[in-house]
Amino acid sequence: MAETTKYQNRIELLQGTLDMLVLQALLREPMHGYANAQVIRSRSGEVFTVETGSLYPALHRLERQKWVKSEWKLTESKQRAKFYQLTALGKKQLTTDHQRWLQLVRAIGAVMEPEVQP
Amino acid sequence: MHWPWERAKESLSEELEAHLQMAIAERVADGEDSTQARAAALHEFGNLPLIEDVTRERRGWMWLENLLQDTRYALRHLRRSPAFTATALLTLAFGIGANLAVFQLLYAVILADLPVPHPEEVTRIQAARSPFDQSWTISYPAYQRLRAATPDIPLMASAYAQDATLDLPNRAPIEAACTLVSDNYFSGLGVAPAAGRLFVQADERMDQGEWPMVLRHDFARKTFGSAQQAVGQHVHLNGRAFIVIGVAHRRFIGDRTGYAPDIWMPLALESTGALAVPWDSLGPGHDVSLDKPWYNQPTIFWLLLMARIPPQRRAEVLAHWDQAFRNDREVMTEATADPVVRAAHLRVKTGIAPLSENGMKKKFTAPLTLLMALSASIFLVGCLNLANLQLARLHARAHELSVRMALGASSGRLIRQIVLEDALLVAGGSVCAFVLGQVASGILVRWASNRNSLFTFDLHPNLPLAALGAGLMLLSLVSFSILPAVIFIHTGATQAAGSRAKVAGISQTARQRFRSNVLLSTQVSLSLLLSTMSVCFAATLVHWETVDVGMDREHVLIVRPELHEPRYTDRSEMLPELYRRIQERLEALPGVRSAAVEMCGGIHCGWITALYVHGRNDLTDAQVHGQEDHVGLGFFSTLGIPILRGRDFSSSDTDKTQPVAIISRAYARQLLGDADPIGQWVGYVPAPDDHKFLIVGEVADARVNGAEREAPPVVYMSINQNPAPVNSIRLRAVGDPSQLSEGVRHALYEVDPALTVSEIVPLAAELNGDLGTEKLLARLAGIYASLTLLLVAIGFYGVMSSRTARRKNEFGIRLALGATRRHIQMLIVGQTARVLLAGILPGAILSTLAVRTASHFLYGSVSANSLAVIAASFVLAIAGSVATLIPARRAAYADPLETLRSE
Repeated sequence: MAETTKYQNRIELLQGTLDMLVLQALLREPMHGYANAQVIRSRSGEVFTVETGSLYPALHRLERQKWVKSEWKLTESKQRAKFYQLTALGKKQLTTDHQRWLQLVRAIGAVMEPEVQP
Repeated sequence: MHWPWERAKESLSEELEAHLQMAIAERVADGEDSTQARAAALHEFGNLPLIEDVTRERRGWMWLENLLQDTRYALRHLRRSPAFTATALLTLAFGIGANLAVFQLLYAVILADLPVPHPEEVTRIQAARSPFDQSWTISYPAYQRLRAATPDIPLMASAYAQDATLDLPNRAPIEAACTLVSDNYFSGLGVAPAAGRLFVQADERMDQGEWPMVLRHDFARKTFGSAQQAVGQHVHLNGRAFIVIGVAHRRFIGDRTGYAPDIWMPLALESTGALAVPWDSLGPGHDVSLDKPWYNQPTIFWLLLMARIPPQRRAEVLAHWDQAFRNDREVMTEATADPVVRAAHLRVKTGIAPLSENGMKKKFTAPLTLLMALSASIFLVGCLNLANLQLARLHARAHELSVRMALGASSGRLIRQIVLEDALLVAGGSVCAFVLGQVASGILVRWASNRNSLFTFDLHPNLPLAALGAGLMLLSLVSFSILPAVIFIHTGATQAAGSRAKVAGISQTARQRFRSNVLLSTQVSLSLLLSTMSVCFAATLVHWETVDVGMDREHVLIVRPELHEPRYTDRSEMLPELYRRIQERLEALPGVRSAAVEMCGGIHCGWITALYVHGRNDLTDAQVHGQEDHVGLGFFSTLGIPILRGRDFSSSDTDKTQPVAIISRAYARQLLGDADPIGQWVGYVPAPDDHKFLIVGEVADARVNGAEREAPPVVYMSINQNPAPVNSIRLRAVGDPSQLSEGVRHALYEVDPALTVSEIVPLAAELNGDLGTEKLLARLAGIYASLTLLLVAIGFYGVMSSRTARRKNEFGIRLALGATRRHIQMLIVGQTARVLLAGILPGAILSTLAVRTASHFLYGSVSANSLAVIAASFVLAIAGSVATLIPARRAAYADPLETLRSE
């Protein structure tokens, strides 16, 4: 059952929100794709497993839109990896996405739990 | 060479590899076995190449990458079939190039506007026809009056002078075409200078020490290197000092289509006599002094008019001019004694005519339109041919294509690959076509030109030409590539696929065969049309080159001496003696039968005159007008013009004796009907001065205005009775006249070392040089016909080769079952014969119709031209059959065992 829930969550949440999650993960510090996936997974309490086949197209798409930029660096374990960093444009985009997300959550919340409304 | 996406690809692989390594490292750190860790990480990772592909697509380079891949593939493919590639390139180059070349000429002659602002406002002004030449020329005083009548309307005048000799410091002198123009010519037209300045009012001053001149841009560049360098140059023209004050705009090459002056000069230059300017006048006895300046003589007509009038003001302006011109109109009618003609002249109103309405347009519109149609047909034949070859090629690739489709290639990508391959061909072919078109249009102009005067057109590439080129490129791409590819992919490839399904294949090939047969027979039809036209045009050219012109065209040599020099003109009474010595010396040359001098330098030269017969007051204007020429002793026997009645000029006719005239048969009939002209008195003017000359002889008619034109009425006077410099010496040779040139030069040098000879040319060359239109049509149609013949042959060869290749197995079985090789050959040749027949029948009808439409350009009867259809069909049939025989033999002589084994 847990497997199915996870699967469903992934499908529903990742559509359109993956970009936001990736950007949010990059907000604090530049990181490579693997770390990005790990961050999302751990912060979501292991609910989201970002598939490699979704993560890299997303990262490259974001880079093409100039929301992130990349450079090759060495990791702590001396592994050469491509680090992604949020750009000013990306930060702006993240703010917009986040706003919209909050709006969506509030709206859905209002529909689902009308009695909570003040 | 690393493409950006190749670097990106490597970088991506490395990035994903790093991801994998980190995942493995983490699992190992968590205590997993390294092999297990790797397997698990890979499992979690997913399909690596797929991820790479998807990721790369996100970067947006994919389409370009695919395009380059396809391009490389296409180039490799083209290299692998050099015969097809070469055929396609040449077909496109010729098909498109021919259209471009003819269109460029058509555009320059018929469609192009004067390159000035608002060209529709500029028109020719036609006040009155001059009395003899019937040209729209008026006198200088009349021009001044008209200009003064409407000061706000620019009224420009010009006069085309004869070519002059331009002397440059340290350079060989060059001949330049000159035009005299009024001071407002450039400003009125709105032509801008490319360098320096154009004419202003001050340039019209009389008696300038150094005259101003304006050069045509291309002439300035050719002569001085550039427009800027030309300005300020001091030069001599016909011995007079000039300074180049400016160069006209690059695109402006004069106001008359086909004729581009090299130099423009002020009208006032006429007063110096430096240039020979054509003129007309009221004739002798009307106070005409050609030697004095013309600017104050109202009876010399030499100026052509042009004006820029806004359309809404035309009627008003013309009415003004009519009023101002009334006096001059009355003066001009004095030239005729015919009261009817006189009244008609007075009724004429000043009119306008578009600049584009000129002899050039009249002469070339129909031939060029015809050539355009022929060019379009050759383009069509080329496209059909390529479409057919293309279909055959696609069928040969059917197996490969269907396998690729079965493996998952999208039909869009396959079509794109095929079309890309052809787009490369079309692009390559078009580059060749543009180059070919540029070169060819220059050659066409030379063919169309008369021998002595080369037409000059603005042949710079222009927008309509580029549009036509692009349109033809697109059309050819659609017809020979996109359509066949789409038809092929969507109808057949997949069905014929995989198992090479025989049963489905047979009905399929029957349809394909029908399609390519239709294409082939259409080609045959069009090719027959072009071949027929070519034969007819060639026959017409040969006719005019050999028609009886009333002169001995094959044996007469024309020598042009330079006698218009003060040394001769100032002592004209000495000329008869010089002519006698020249004649005597030349006739002593071996191979020369006789020699004579003539005022005319060549064809189209006799001037228009009027003869009135003493005692006949009822002659109309149409009857009295004819052509006049002054000739030396022995002229008629030299030219081979028979004397019909009376006598030739003799040495006893001198300026001291009664002036005599010899009249041509046509002139005699025009003036006197069938009455004997000998003994009649004639004069240039009506009674009482109508008995100046006594007619002593009548000669046969000769086509002195060119082979195509009817023999004009001519009156010949003796040059010894009115001594003047002649323009030609004619010789009649025993054999080929051009062999005599060196001897003639030498002999003339002996007679007079100071005498220069400007040109020596056989009469036949002079006459043939005049057949511009015929030559253009015959040569171009000839080239087109041979090209289409070649294309048809290639078409048959290509289609039949691919067909026999596909039927190899069938032939193998037939041979194994006892069919003879002859049988196999006949099978294939029979197919060709049917296609030929299907093409020749409609082609013959088409050709007959075309010949009938073009009969205006053709000499010869309908039956003679039907013969051309038959001859062309025959040639076409031979070409098609020979082209088929090669693959037919190959099929018939294949080893049946070999083919069956491969089955």
